[in-house]
Amino acid sequence: MTTTSQTALPALDRLLADVSGERMAATVATLAGESFAGRRVGTTGGGAARAWLGQHLVDLGASVTTESFPVRDVPEVYAVPTAEWSDGSATHPLAFGRDIAVHLASADVADVRQGPLGVAGVDEPAGRWLLAPVAMTLTDAYQHASGALGLLVGRAVDGDGWHYTMLAGPRVGPLPVISVSTDLQPRLLNAAQGGGANWSANAPIRRVDVNGANVHARLRGAAPGGLDVLLTAHYDGVGDHPGLRQPAAADNGSGVAVVCEAARLLAVGLPPDIGLSVAFLDGEEAGALGSAHHAAHLRTAANPPLVINVDGAGCLHEAAAVEAGGPAHGLLAVLDQAARHTGMPLVAGPVASDNRRYAAAGLAAVGIGAGMAGYHSPSDTADRVDPATMAAICRLVVATGWLAASDATKLSSLIGDKR
Amino acid sequence: MSETKNAGGFAGDPTAALDVAGTGGCCGNPPRASLSLPEPDAAAATCCGTDAQAKAENTCCGSAAKADAVASGSGCCG
Repeated sequence: MTTTSQTALPALDRLLADVSGERMAATVATLAGESFAGRRVGTTGGGAARAWLGQHLVDLGASVTTESFPVRDVPEVYAVPTAEWSDGSATHPLAFGRDIAVHLASADVADVRQGPLGVAGVDEPAGRWLLAPVAMTLTDAYQHASGALGLLVGRAVDGDGWHYTMLAGPRVGPLPVISVSTDLQPRLLNAAQGGGANWSANAPIRRVDVNGANVHARLRGAAPGGLDVLLTAHYDGVGDHPGLRQPAAADNGSGVAVVCEAARLLAVGLPPDIGLSVAFLDGEEAGALGSAHHAAHLRTAANPPLVINVDGAGCLHEAAAVEAGGPAHGLLAVLDQAARHTGMPLVAGPVASDNRRYAAAGLAAVGIGAGMAGYHSPSDTADRVDPATMAAICRLVVATGWLAASDATKLSSLIGDKR
Repeated sequence: MSETKNAGGFAGDPTAALDVAGTGGCCGNPPRASLSLPEPDAAAATCCGTDAQAKAENTCCGSAAKADAVASGSGCCG
């Protein structure tokens, strides 16, 4: 495929040569900093990150606005949970985040409940904490928990031994529910089956209604009916817990950094009349709510943009994952062309992020993901984000935007999309 | 322009990326070199999948979140 002239490529290569992994690493370090507190939607830290990003985009010469939207029932662990167990001969204190976590389905129980430990489906539930056996789901465990003090369910931890934090998931149930690591689960099961074991814990988790806000920036206007490129990345994280930082560096500080850098370069490198805008999205971790809000507005746009979303550019493993939706055949062809030019291997794979909202709204959208050093845990730190990965993804994004702009007609004609 | 300047690009048909959409599972799942994905489910939300999807192989970012999704039937996202 040779749709772009040889003579035009030096201009692209000059842009690509200016991509700075160091600049992006600095952005990630800032976003992962303590003052932003993990950037959970609706928090002070999230607001601080939004303000910083807005100013960053203004400094790039963009006109910047924010648009808020409601987010309901965001889970918040509001105190360090207390948990310990005894086997009759010794008491074992447990570490929040490693040994235990508060399950998303948990009721809010601030006061510690102490009682004998039993096995769900085996022991009389009333007055006991009940451990769900390995094969038992939480839904099934509820059926055996009438009058129980609470439930314990096994949950795998990550490679660093941390529980994942999720903001979207099961609805709140009637009992406190504690996730225990799958290392701890069999020890508890043995103790419970032996009799005489006790469990003591609280579950300080509440649901809060908040407002999220997207940051929108217009860097270049599009000619009427002309190509308009929208770069997106979510800036929110799952947020810090009390006493437990969760910096959200790779997910998705790295994606935000890539978009910042790509926007800086494309703002000056695109041909005239090609539009360029950026959306830094909130509420992705709560269910891709920021992009849902934005996509609803774009659904009826006279000149819908091409959407390039970056979710995780922290640690490349063999190839970057690409998921596309909407009338994206032409965009995919350009992305492939850009990847060949920049040397980035691509694989079709799930990028379950904001790109899906735009695609569902009928826009041509691609999501690009290049791995995460940590995932929703304290191990997602800035020092584990690979600047070379960010640079490679940034070059891919810049080349995609540039090649699309250099031959915009192919986007609608190459494979027959109706835009 | 030499399209084979580097070993980049899709290993196969780029339009395969269009068939990924509709998988349930979590936002932000790490990419895999090879994937086995179920057919898209039009009834699923755009990001959060159905119970059946959550139970399917490779549709969720991790066993922990997957367990939650299966337990609740609400899928997982974010």
